[in-house]
Amino acid sequence: MSHEMKQPEKNPAKSRRQHSDLRFALHLLRQNPIVMAGLVISVATVVLALLSNLLVNGAYWHQQNLTLRLCWNNPAFGWPVTNLFNCGGQVYPLGTDAYGRSLLQMIILAIPIDLQIALEVVASAVVIGVVFGSLAAYMGGLIDEVILRITDIFLAVPWILLAIVLIVVLGRSLTTLTLAIIITWWPWYVRLMRSQVIGEKEKLYVERLKMMGAGWPRILFLHVIPNSIYPILVQSTLDIGSVILTVSALTFIGLTPNPLLPELGNLSNQGIEYFFTAPWLIIFPGLTILIISLGFNLLGDGIRDIFDPRLRR
Amino acid sequence: MSQAHTQEGGDDILSIQELKLKFHTYAGEVSALDGIKLSIKKGELLGLVGESGCGKSVTALAIAGLLPPNAEVTGGDVVLDGKNVLALKPEEMRLARLKDIAMIFQDPMTYLNPVLTIGSQMAEITRAEPKLFVSTLVNYRLRQIDKQVEGTNPNPGLPAERERLRHALESQSLGRKELNELTRSYAISLLRSVRLPEPEKVFEMYPFELSGGMRQRVMIAMAMMRRPKLLLADEITTALDVTVQAQILHLLKDLRSEINTSVLLITHDLAIVAEVCDRVAVMYAGNIVEIAEVHELFRNPLHPYSKGLLASVPRADLTRTPDSIEGSVPDLLSPPSGCRFHPRCPKAFEVCPSRKPSMIEVAPDHYVSCFLYGGLNGKNNNT
Amino acid sequence: MVFVLFALSVLIFYLTRGLLPPTTALAPYINPRLTDAGKLSIARAVGVATSSCPSFSDFAALQNGCITPLWTQYLYWLKNVLVGNWGYTLLPGISGTESTWSVFFGRFPYTAELDIVAAALTFLIAVPLGIISATHNNKAPDHLSRIVSLGGYSIPQFWFGAMLLLVFVLYVRIGGLGLLPASGALGTTCALCFSNPGTITAYTGVPLLDALLSRNIPYFWDSVVAIILPAMTLAITSLGLLTRIVRSNMMEVLRQDYITMARSKGLKERTVVYSHALRNAILPAITVTGLLVTYLIGGSVIVEIVFSWPGVGSAALVAADVLDINFLELFVLVAGVIIVVTNLTVDILYAVLDPRIRY
Repeated sequence: MSHEMKQPEKNPAKSRRQHSDLRFALHLLRQNPIVMAGLVISVATVVLALLSNLLVNGAYWHQQNLTLRLCWNNPAFGWPVTNLFNCGGQVYPLGTDAYGRSLLQMIILAIPIDLQIALEVVASAVVIGVVFGSLAAYMGGLIDEVILRITDIFLAVPWILLAIVLIVVLGRSLTTLTLAIIITWWPWYVRLMRSQVIGEKEKLYVERLKMMGAGWPRILFLHVIPNSIYPILVQSTLDIGSVILTVSALTFIGLTPNPLLPELGNLSNQGIEYFFTAPWLIIFPGLTILIISLGFNLLGDGIRDIFDPRLRR
Repeated sequence: MSQAHTQEGGDDILSIQELKLKFHTYAGEVSALDGIKLSIKKGELLGLVGESGCGKSVTALAIAGLLPPNAEVTGGDVVLDGKNVLALKPEEMRLARLKDIAMIFQDPMTYLNPVLTIGSQMAEITRAEPKLFVSTLVNYRLRQIDKQVEGTNPNPGLPAERERLRHALESQSLGRKELNELTRSYAISLLRSVRLPEPEKVFEMYPFELSGGMRQRVMIAMAMMRRPKLLLADEITTALDVTVQAQILHLLKDLRSEINTSVLLITHDLAIVAEVCDRVAVMYAGNIVEIAEVHELFRNPLHPYSKGLLASVPRADLTRTPDSIEGSVPDLLSPPSGCRFHPRCPKAFEVCPSRKPSMIEVAPDHYVSCFLYGGLNGKNNNT
Repeated sequence: MVFVLFALSVLIFYLTRGLLPPTTALAPYINPRLTDAGKLSIARAVGVATSSCPSFSDFAALQNGCITPLWTQYLYWLKNVLVGNWGYTLLPGISGTESTWSVFFGRFPYTAELDIVAAALTFLIAVPLGIISATHNNKAPDHLSRIVSLGGYSIPQFWFGAMLLLVFVLYVRIGGLGLLPASGALGTTCALCFSNPGTITAYTGVPLLDALLSRNIPYFWDSVVAIILPAMTLAITSLGLLTRIVRSNMMEVLRQDYITMARSKGLKERTVVYSHALRNAILPAITVTGLLVTYLIGGSVIVEIVFSWPGVGSAALVAADVLDINFLELFVLVAGVIIVVTNLTVDILYAVLDPRIRY
């Protein structure tokens, strides 16, 4: 008969908050089929990249036959343009590129290359941004001013100009390509991290740690950075898609180390040359870029929405 | 304590019957209102008291049709001056908000748009539906003209203007320019009537240039502009100093008499209730537990919760610290069964967890929802 | 921000002059017919070779003592630049005696025209899209507009331009001609074009303006027809950021208490959204204009190549190929000036428009 007034508090406040965070996240995820689609695409891309060497022989693109051999013989549909060349016996589902290699296989080979560059760029930019951004914010004063001014300088130039200049002076290779993009990308992360840490370092627990005698490296690296890194991670997911766009844009305009390289921008470069006679050569690589970057952008955008405190109920 | 105020007419301006409301949240469903019964007579100032989270603001929002999208009314009626508010279409509800119901909120800083002047935020009211305000504006100006005509040195253009205005009154329409000018002077006169110094200047100011008390007066003036039948005042003095509080409350009372508005005054402060209200309703966890005339409640609280509330008010004439009610406000995600107060009630007995008590008139115009006073057999009166 | 421009010039200078052989800087001035001595004197005149350098072949072999220190070169360059002397440019088709300045600013109006039209389109599409997204949050219009803005953000610019070309030039054909022109800033061979638009006087160098000023409507029309596709390409790929910001600002504003207050006054929903919500939401959104300008200038490079648009973007690529540093330096610094000035203007505008900051 004695009625339970209230259920006793089983969970301490913190884990209850995490629990409800997760529930809220899943609730929003369910409400948002678009984000689910993004997640699916991103995962599929990574899987495809990992499996690409199983699907296509890695040495396929090294063909030495440089004579022009564009063709299309997919029986399912055709193009309102005339075939340039005879395809021979083999059926090419997506046609061939200018050197007679199956476009489908080239695309499959290109995905891991582009993805790898994207991950390298994003990882490097994150590291640089985290280190310098948090130092600038935490140290303040002169260090902050200097770092801020340096980012100002880099942000006053359109990225592509800076990248062009860098590749021109450093030579054309995958490394310089990656490096050029990193150099144009890092200022954003520095700024982002800096604004996060500026807010974070005012919090009470930092004060408490200082009073307990903790040194600034310990406070910064073990406490402040892990707590402020969230938006950076969200941004980096989004940026994987953007970097792939960037890389392909740069190789498209011709700043590629090797015109034969299976890379989505490279293929598009060929495509624009033979544009009116072989449109498939620019449609499909570009479409691949679109789908991949869309996947990562949807995912990153969705994550950002889910964890944006202002949008919570 | 407040003076006795004679009720005008026996009609209720507002009658809420068995209103049930819940919120759909990511954590589950929150049962915010559990079948509340409330009524306000014409010209009456009803206080609605309770702790934070008991549903007072939600009630006001429900009346005004301003509930957030995740709210769902699951039963009951809200009848305002004969019209069932819940059944109104959105456009009709909007017009009701324009002319019949006015709401004033707690924190005037966040409830005024920071990038628009006070004046523009007042003028947009008449611009929303000019036809509804023609009479008010024209009559106001006519009264002004009459006063000026009787005074010294009247402007020779006044009789012509009077003719023009009478014409406008007949045809119930005003030119754009005239509407703006009349609105402006009417608004300034309202700002004056809420005792704001230099109302012409205030009209051109931005909200951040005014103090909290001044902003609250502006809100009252905005409400008065519509001459509403019902004024909903949601914790309007909570964010203000005590001295300013008293001024605002008295202002409210005076205006109420002038325009004969009914007022629902929501507050958690019993002192305010004692100061200005005619009747008071006590609310707990989504239920109205007691309604009485204000003196009666303070003299003879019946519900254990009301008793607890009154006992917890600090008083200057007692030396011991006031009692507090044991336990804490229930989580409305999974509210207690039966009478929601029973877990904290010192007088709870077997039937309390099993059914909800109905509202019974224990003394003339004194209603209580508690099994201690009846309702066990379901035979006693309901309101 | 003068400091930023100054530092930028140092950066670009050191990158190009420092990492490339010194002969690169001389390329526009030297033709093979010159003698060694002639080349050396030019090298000295440009400030790259020291007066103590014995011969040009020593200089070309990077002998010690032959090459002036980089900072001296920089000062020399700076002195010239500040009086407007940007040297000569190497772009083919130009004889090598054209100054960088005139070549650059001969082409610049085309890029400016393209970017301004694209910016206008971006705003015209993004702002309503963001508003609709916010007011119909999580319903069909929101999803659709988010797909459009995110899609735009994810589309490769060259691909989108190519697709537009495919559709409107190759596939939609009327009378044997594509609907819109395939390339260039003036369309004369397309179904919608006037084939003989006549001429205009170049008052400003911007074709659209000049055509209007010269009262040559067919020319104006042909310029419009030619600018549609490249401007749309730029706009669609740039509107993602602006849409997202307008959307999130609007959503935040619509949750504010003064919106509830406005509704409680009985105002029409349209008044609430536009007079109250949008006023507050749009102000922080203008801070993104600087980013937009950066993005548009960068995007012009790609779009101009796809559409063979005669602006500085397509020229930049050619300059990169032939190592024309003068052109690249000028481009980078002009872009820097534009971006810095835009940011400054936005900051001032923000302070002017927000009454809270004014006081």
